Amino acid sequence: MRIVTPISAAEEVAPLAAAGADEFYCGIVPKDWTERFQSSGVNRRIFGNFSDYGALAAAIAAAHAAQARISLVMNAQHYTEDHVAALLKIAERFAEIGGDALIVGDIGLLSTLAEQGLPLRLHVSSLLTCRNSEAVRLYRDLGAARVILPRDVTLSEIATMARAVPEIELEAFVLNDGCVFEEGSCHSIHLPPKLGGPICLDTYDPAYARSDGAPLSDAEAARLKANDEAYRRFLWHRFSRGFTVSEDGYPFGPCGLCALPAFARAGLAAIKIAGREGRLERKLKSVELVRTIRDIVVGGAPEAEVLSHARGMRGAPCADGYMCYYRETAPPS
Amino acid sequence: MAVALSLSVTSVANAESLLARRDGVTRLQFGSEFCESLLPAPAQLRQMLTLAEANGLAFSLATPICSDHSVTRLRKLLVHLPPQSEVVANDWGMLHMLHADFPGLTPVAGRLICKQIKDPRLPSAQWATLYPHGVHGAPFVAMLRRFGVGRVEMDVAPYAAAEDLHSPQLRVSAHTPWGFSVKGRACRIGSLHLADADKFAIAGKCRRECLDYVAPMTRDGRDELPTVQRGNALFYRHNEAMTAALNDAVGAGYVDRMIFAGDWPGERP
Repeated sequence: MRIVTPISAAEEVAPLAAAGADEFYCGIVPKDWTERFQSSGVNRRIFGNFSDYGALAAAIAAAHAAQARISLVMNAQHYTEDHVAALLKIAERFAEIGGDALIVGDIGLLSTLAEQGLPLRLHVSSLLTCRNSEAVRLYRDLGAARVILPRDVTLSEIATMARAVPEIELEAFVLNDGCVFEEGSCHSIHLPPKLGGPICLDTYDPAYARSDGAPLSDAEAARLKANDEAYRRFLWHRFSRGFTVSEDGYPFGPCGLCALPAFARAGLAAIKIAGREGRLERKLKSVELVRTIRDIVVGGAPEAEVLSHARGMRGAPCADGYMCYYRETAPPS
Repeated sequence: MAVALSLSVTSVANAESLLARRDGVTRLQFGSEFCESLLPAPAQLRQMLTLAEANGLAFSLATPICSDHSVTRLRKLLVHLPPQSEVVANDWGMLHMLHADFPGLTPVAGRLICKQIKDPRLPSAQWATLYPHGVHGAPFVAMLRRFGVGRVEMDVAPYAAAEDLHSPQLRVSAHTPWGFSVKGRACRIGSLHLADADKFAIAGKCRRECLDYVAPMTRDGRDELPTVQRGNALFYRHNEAMTAALNDAVGAGYVDRMIFAGDWPGERP
């Protein structure tokens, strides 16, 4: 299982490769794009992008020097026809400077890129919400080499897709950044904090009502209140326990380390660390965390030993299961 | 103008009275766009097919994003549909399957795959223009054509104009009066009956609490589009400007079918 790691600067490549990253991914927002479209919407992230091809070429060279592949993200929620034309130019430029793969979140763009025959692998982004074998077959038929699964899949579903279409690579999330709604079904904008920020973290206050118009009983109101309190705890964990790290600097938040044995059995090609916008230190600790457990799994350790290591690296915060991408692997409560 | 009434499994028992209360309905749209747990049972589907036939209505089955397990369930539903029935697909895998295995049915692209920014919190039209959608663009239309899709379903987005609903190549249905903004798989209300350790997991055991409760949402007392969390999705209600944009789109012939939310609390016809 190759560890796929985010970068936002060429200088991050060498230390991350040394830490254990096998592949890299990044974004670019060229100036001519922002001038033309008046937005940074080349990909899903406003920040953490390269802005010129020189720096991107340096990142590619550094990745190749470390025997690692590098992918470019084209994973905005959707693109217009004009966007697709501009993205084809970016893809051509990326291929010219030696890039390896494109991560594509729009099916029209994916199909168009496949028709171009560029010397680039095509990876299906989690934005395309591939949740069943029929979809995997479709993306295989369109020319994709890999499907990055959405965050919201079960281990059983992953294994089923892997068995059904073994000829395409699958990649799954393993660490960081927890969208609460499905990325591929999120039609909102990450607004600036003063306007509410990401919609899943906004300060919405629910006023529950019964659908049949009857008033809520006291018992119902109490259960709903308790459920919402648990939901707020879930959000806090999902967003890195209030955006904190462990004493050793390992990031809290969504984690699939305990799923690595199941990933290995399913034959997954790659595991994804999220967070292009993060600081290098966070990325390094993320790679260190994932590599440690990945190597234990690849070394053939019994699953109980893997889980013990995985849960031990950040200590007690694992206990409630709300940080687990794959809740099937949560410690028993 | 064709008029569809959208109903979910919660309305099977009183579907006839709901139909009777809205004039001009030409199509019954039944199923779920948002959740696998709300796929109907075969008996419920047959009951609604019978109702549609008895009332001379065309029929559409709405389907959500599916796991393989739900694909198997869905296949068992699709065999009950009369030829040419519409299947509203919100999952590219479903379009792939329909094209390959159910060529006698009519695929429609649902509003989950017809992506556009629909954030009820946007403070101005300028925000909406930053991220124009590509539903009518050639690359997206070519993909739909590949699967024999001739109709798309769209929401009226905040700050939308009639032109946003204009497809030169495809027929357009528009949902009204509720648009959807975001959808998750970890279900807040669906966790109501679960122990804390089991809450908000995906594919958790579901008791369909979404059919019993709705949650109007406000934030910091702001005066915004009415917003409601229902089940795993967040919806907004059209304001006057959006209703006017939809009416303009209908008047211009851009939209030839309106899909009315038939079993929303407070929206029953």
